[in-house]
Amino acid sequence: MPGALDGVRVLDLSWGIAGPLGVLLLAEQGADVVKVEPPGGDPFRDYSGYAVWNRSRRSVTVDLKQPSGADAFRKLAADADVIVETFRPGVTDRLGIGYDALHELNPRLVYCSCPAYPAGHRFAQRPGYDALVQASSGQQWEQPGWRPGPIFLHMPMPSMGAMFLVPTGILSALIARETTGRGQHVRTSLFQGALLYTTQIWTWVPGADSAFFGTMAKTYPPGVHQEMVFEVADNEYVHASIMSGLAPVKTQDAILGLPDPSDPEKYMMLSPEERAELTPKRRAAYKLHKRDELIAEFRENNHAIEAIESMEYALGANGEPHPQLVANEMVATVDDPELGHTTQVGVPIHLAGTPGAIRGPRPKPGQHNEQIFGELGYSPAEIAAFSGVG
Amino acid sequence: MHALEGVRLIDFGQYLAGPFGPMVIGDLGADVIKVEPVTGDGMRFANQPFFGCQRGKRDIALDLKSERGHKIALQLVANADIVHHNMTAGVAVRLGIGYEDCKRVKEDIVYCNTWAYGLEGPLARFGGLDPLYQASAGLEYEQGPVREGNPPNYLRFGMTDTANAMLSVVGCLAALYHQRVTGVGQELWTSLLDGGSMFASDALLVDGEAVPRPRLDRAQTGMDALYRLYETQEGWIQIAAIEDEHWVGLCNALSLPELVDDSRFATRAARAEHRQQLEALFIPRFVARTAIQWTRMLDAAGVPNEIAFDSHAGELQHFDGDNERLGLVAEYDHPLLGRMRQYGALIDFSETPGLIHGPPPLVGQNTIEILEWLGYSQAEMDELKAQRVVYWPDDDYGWNV
Repeated sequence: MPGALDGVRVLDLSWGIAGPLGVLLLAEQGADVVKVEPPGGDPFRDYSGYAVWNRSRRSVTVDLKQPSGADAFRKLAADADVIVETFRPGVTDRLGIGYDALHELNPRLVYCSCPAYPAGHRFAQRPGYDALVQASSGQQWEQPGWRPGPIFLHMPMPSMGAMFLVPTGILSALIARETTGRGQHVRTSLFQGALLYTTQIWTWVPGADSAFFGTMAKTYPPGVHQEMVFEVADNEYVHASIMSGLAPVKTQDAILGLPDPSDPEKYMMLSPEERAELTPKRRAAYKLHKRDELIAEFRENNHAIEAIESMEYALGANGEPHPQLVANEMVATVDDPELGHTTQVGVPIHLAGTPGAIRGPRPKPGQHNEQIFGELGYSPAEIAAFSGVG
Repeated sequence: MHALEGVRLIDFGQYLAGPFGPMVIGDLGADVIKVEPVTGDGMRFANQPFFGCQRGKRDIALDLKSERGHKIALQLVANADIVHHNMTAGVAVRLGIGYEDCKRVKEDIVYCNTWAYGLEGPLARFGGLDPLYQASAGLEYEQGPVREGNPPNYLRFGMTDTANAMLSVVGCLAALYHQRVTGVGQELWTSLLDGGSMFASDALLVDGEAVPRPRLDRAQTGMDALYRLYETQEGWIQIAAIEDEHWVGLCNALSLPELVDDSRFATRAARAEHRQQLEALFIPRFVARTAIQWTRMLDAAGVPNEIAFDSHAGELQHFDGDNERLGLVAEYDHPLLGRMRQYGALIDFSETPGLIHGPPPLVGQNTIEILEWLGYSQAEMDELKAQRVVYWPDDDYGWNV
């Protein structure tokens, strides 16, 4: 089955989350990706998620600090369409594999850099672990939690922004290359990934009234959508929705068994006073219902609702996986060379004409040294010398 | 030349997860035409979230349910590369702008629908809002953290709207690249549900059993004594003492050098296991100095750290000198609200830069220029407006933004 990105060759020098996961989105739409790791492998190999974020690619190991290693890498780069790297600004130049050097070698190359901070920023040489960018970007202060002050974000938000910017920038440059015939340097950063998630909350308009900032405002304790989180029986939780796009059959209040159910069409129009009076009654009623039964009845009556549980639960750790994730082919099984039979998220972009696919488990470091460097004419002894294997 | 110069996208979406993707594609230099109902996008009332998903678009206000409005829509599609929307099941086909309708007028069109749940399946007919998919992906559970006895905690950043939109951007651009190479277009879809799951894509089962992954503590400070926030005498500091040399530096900076050789803390795994003992030692130390003192001391000791920065709802980032100089800030004038700032370029290109065209449009702000481009005369346009088939801003403009 053809992929949308068939024929696009990517060298993935990246570590961590944003690079590997961004590359994954390309790999599973058909790009041919080779992960280039240091001898011994990517230092992030022990991280949770590594087995998912690094699948669908081949692996070679190269000691880029050895002249013969950097030279072998340049030979790969001469024939590549895309390079992705996540070092601090300046590191690849010192290794002799920076943008300028490789652009001269291969003018069609799209060279994507994704450090923690943009080159030229006063933070550019500071360490780039995800939580540090959560702190410096201001994200931690934006998140309301259960105490005052900045709140640590469990999901690595800056990385999870940059992982979308990496393939977006690469694909834009590949499309432009169809016109210009030339590659270019594409740069983003974890910091810009953090900014991505401020889009709904950080428009600065001095001429606007305070209501302009109301809908998604930070409150303490957490507000906005927190209002529709309900505790049900057995210390479990659900998130109900005020809208599903469908006409309700029974109202939520009727399902809950409230004595005087409100008109569902009017729920959005309730005054704060009416809502304040109703909310404790609803909260009490929810606690009388078992979660799975309530969810089924809500859905039968056209109300959108989800259990608040872990992603592992959604993948089926405690029973059946989420039925719509299954329908979306997002509950994937992968036989991992180290872990065995695994269940992981699938391919989230659904192209009808050129369907994406998982193209194999994460490789072992250097698994494809002989295959890939052999094609370039290197002997096993030469490969062993710069790959740190054997 | 700009990165996506010459690419035209017709955006039939409303609310957030639909329109944000086209905004990102517009920032890359594409011409994005927002086709807005004559009654206005249903999200305009929300002000700031609306603004965050609409900048830089040209806007034509059109009644798609009218025959002539529908005809204009297909004229736009015939001149486009990408069609993008987030209508719920069956709506686009009923309106006559489904994939087959669009393909008929533009054979190689790339056609993207961003759903709440998905194309087919038990819940595909449901619409939904971002928090439901924060719930399904475990974000609210982990952020609570519910496991530690807290209530679930909603993330305030429109997480799955953004993920769905960005997946659609990557999908549209992959399909567009394929179209440019092969001449063949296609349809594609993404969803809030799938987008949310990307945030928890480190979740893994082996033989059906969950593999442990990092967990947040009940006070929501971090994952580990060495990867968390600490309150100081003034302000908070985030540390990331991951490597052994960071650990040694931290012990010295905190005047706890005896810990370096303490067997309880000899390895990373041992330090993780003795989290509470370490925190009991560290917490009183950190409150003895201010955050700025700590960042200087930790920098000198080689310990990765940052002060948790209060940007005052973004204002201090929008006026940061480095951010301004590097193009990370965009400023423009909105016709009703005046001067505004949003983030600038999220991706830099050495040869074909992006192009942030300007502020979010008013309802129908570009109706006239777009209809003129399609060949309509002033008399025809006036008549279409009188019949409420199209709209452009006039003295009765009924929206705040």
